[in-house]
Amino acid sequence: MSSVTITNQNLQREGPVLSAVISIANQLEKKYAEQKLRVPEAIELKALIDTGASHSVVQEDIPKKLGLEPIGETRVNTPTCSDHICYKYFLRMIIPVQNNSIYYEGVFTALPLKGQNIDCLIGRDMLKDGVLVYSGCTNQFTLSI
Amino acid sequence: MYISYIYCDSMLEKEIETYYKNKEELLNQDRGKYVLIKNGNVIGTFDSEKDAIKIGIDKFGNIPFLVKKIETIEEEQNFTSDLINLC
Repeated sequence: MSSVTITNQNLQREGPVLSAVISIANQLEKKYAEQKLRVPEAIELKALIDTGASHSVVQEDIPKKLGLEPIGETRVNTPTCSDHICYKYFLRMIIPVQNNSIYYEGVFTALPLKGQNIDCLIGRDMLKDGVLVYSGCTNQFTLSI
Repeated sequence: MYISYIYCDSMLEKEIETYYKNKEELLNQDRGKYVLIKNGNVIGTFDSEKDAIKIGIDKFGNIPFLVKKIETIEEEQNFTSDLINLC
């Protein structure tokens, strides 16, 4: 299991936000290499760990930037909207850590995220095999996956 | 009854239609597993979602296909914080 610990003096205001890189999945990258197709460049983004999100989300334009097609659809409910149909994509996320980066491949739902410069929500599907420690009194959080 | 679940203008309209046409049979045989569907064809069922997706990528590459959990009541995604701008 790899871990990242972030200290942020504005943790209460900004929430558990971290930098990550998102790209096409490893298997598709191999397929592109076999077919001598150009592999789209990975995208750097800010991700918020959101324990109120049942599933992980990327900003809706990111799959398009990566040239990706969907692998499924799902119904989405938010406090203000229900039964909205959205596409799901299979993506690779890397959270850079000095010695041992966190590497995750999984399904992300493409949704329009409101302002705040956040392009990704790390939801409970990603957290289900991990550990999240939020230490408000030290302005720190640790994510282990 | 599957007609009620089909929505138009979807990249996966044909696959969704195929799922609901085959749902009863899939539930009887492979409830709880994940089905991989491309166009009108059920390609196979798998124990995990990732296995189904990886087979889908292997067979079809980067073109739309459907991976769906076979279950009576379909899982929805819920977001309690109001960070998503849908409405």
